[in-house]
Amino acid sequence: MRSRFRWALIIIGLVLGLMLSTQFRAQQEKVQTTTVQRIEQLAQEVEASRAERDALRARNTELRNELDQVAGEAPHGRLRNELETVRIQSGVSSVTGPGIEVVLSDSSLPSQMGQDPNLYVVHDEDLVRVLNELRAAGAEALAINGERIVATSEVMCIGPAVRVNKTKRLTPPYVITAIGNQDTMIAALEMRDGVMDTLKYWGIQVTVRRVAEAGIPAYTGPTTFNYARPLSREGGS
Amino acid sequence: MHPRYFSIAVVGLLLGLLVGFQVRLLELPEPPLPPHDRGRILTAELRELALERESLSAEVRQMDNKVKTARQGIEQAEFALRAEIEKHMVLAGLTGVAGPGVELILHNVPGVDRPDGFLFTVRDEDLLRVVNELRAAGAEAIAVNDQRMTASSEIRQAGPFINVNLERVSAPYRIQAIGNPDDLVKALEFPGGLAETLRDWGINVVIETRTELVLPAYLGRPRPEYAQPLREGV
Repeated sequence: MRSRFRWALIIIGLVLGLMLSTQFRAQQEKVQTTTVQRIEQLAQEVEASRAERDALRARNTELRNELDQVAGEAPHGRLRNELETVRIQSGVSSVTGPGIEVVLSDSSLPSQMGQDPNLYVVHDEDLVRVLNELRAAGAEALAINGERIVATSEVMCIGPAVRVNKTKRLTPPYVITAIGNQDTMIAALEMRDGVMDTLKYWGIQVTVRRVAEAGIPAYTGPTTFNYARPLSREGGS
Repeated sequence: MHPRYFSIAVVGLLLGLLVGFQVRLLELPEPPLPPHDRGRILTAELRELALERESLSAEVRQMDNKVKTARQGIEQAEFALRAEIEKHMVLAGLTGVAGPGVELILHNVPGVDRPDGFLFTVRDEDLLRVVNELRAAGAEAIAVNDQRMTASSEIRQAGPFINVNLERVSAPYRIQAIGNPDDLVKALEFPGGLAETLRDWGINVVIETRTELVLPAYLGRPRPEYAQPLREGV
């Protein structure tokens, strides 16, 4: 009986102590949340800003469609075709067609002691090389992880991610989609001592597959220039 | 209460406290991410978003005007459609453009005893790097030895030459880019930057800002054979 009472007391004490320390801990976390609060506020602002941007994008698409409707009317057939073509070339329209998908993921090789593990991850340069090879093979539209590559698109390593089109952060695996002649593009990549061989040397995993109907979304970034003026019509629109 | 029981209770309480703190220490080895960095990332994103919104708003105004004009009649519609075509031609690199920017000259290093007369030659990957850095710094239009860089332009080694847009170009390589001249120079010229790296390899690099550059249009403009517009897309 006595010893049971003693145990009960010990347990009560233990529970009390645990409760007290948890309480203290919760209190401390609350102090930390004042800095977190500011971050949360920033995050909310970012969220609102994104929503506003998306609304502007949607409005643009709407207006573009309205203009297309006008273009669809009988007397403008030729202009409509021209507009369609040039929008594919500028990257501002979604496209579909036969193509290939190239997937690049970081090396599976166990990195050796003393070797720079950076040698075995996919770099911006690797992506630039693959894109370049596909362009040389006549690719008509390109995207990385669904982000359309246009004339002004960069591919830059930012820490563990890759940035394209100034604001889009992509993470591996990187999926490059290309529309064009499948055989020509595959042959270009698989050429002896070509891009694939180089990448495989570093253990970077590359797979290529044909896609009968590859879809590539439209470029959604800014489409107005601040410095470059067209030569034909000085003054701009 | 018997003082012994009391002391047992105190020992129990202390034990509980100890265990509780221990758990806390084990649970939180370090703060998950310095909040300061998160703040910086979010602030940077806010700034990017503001720029994007600004440019999108400008586009909405332009498009709105075009649609209004187009609704006024056949001639006006044609005018509006031509303006829209023109705009996309500029974006695609199918129209010549003018503006401020930078000009880079990359030259091979002469080596008298070499068979081709050069100690070190500029390769396609060097040009690709330069073009990529310029794009990252916001270049709006780029040309390599008067070959305009489009979304489908390649820069590819072909023996001693480099092909750009299937046209053969050779050293010295002149890369011109239109954009904010300061931003463009800063992207290349900094300690450990691309210009320095190329110079370390012995390549002769000259970078100059220009108040007015004129870049040609890309002329070999084949119609897309494989890519079709996706009818209902976003």
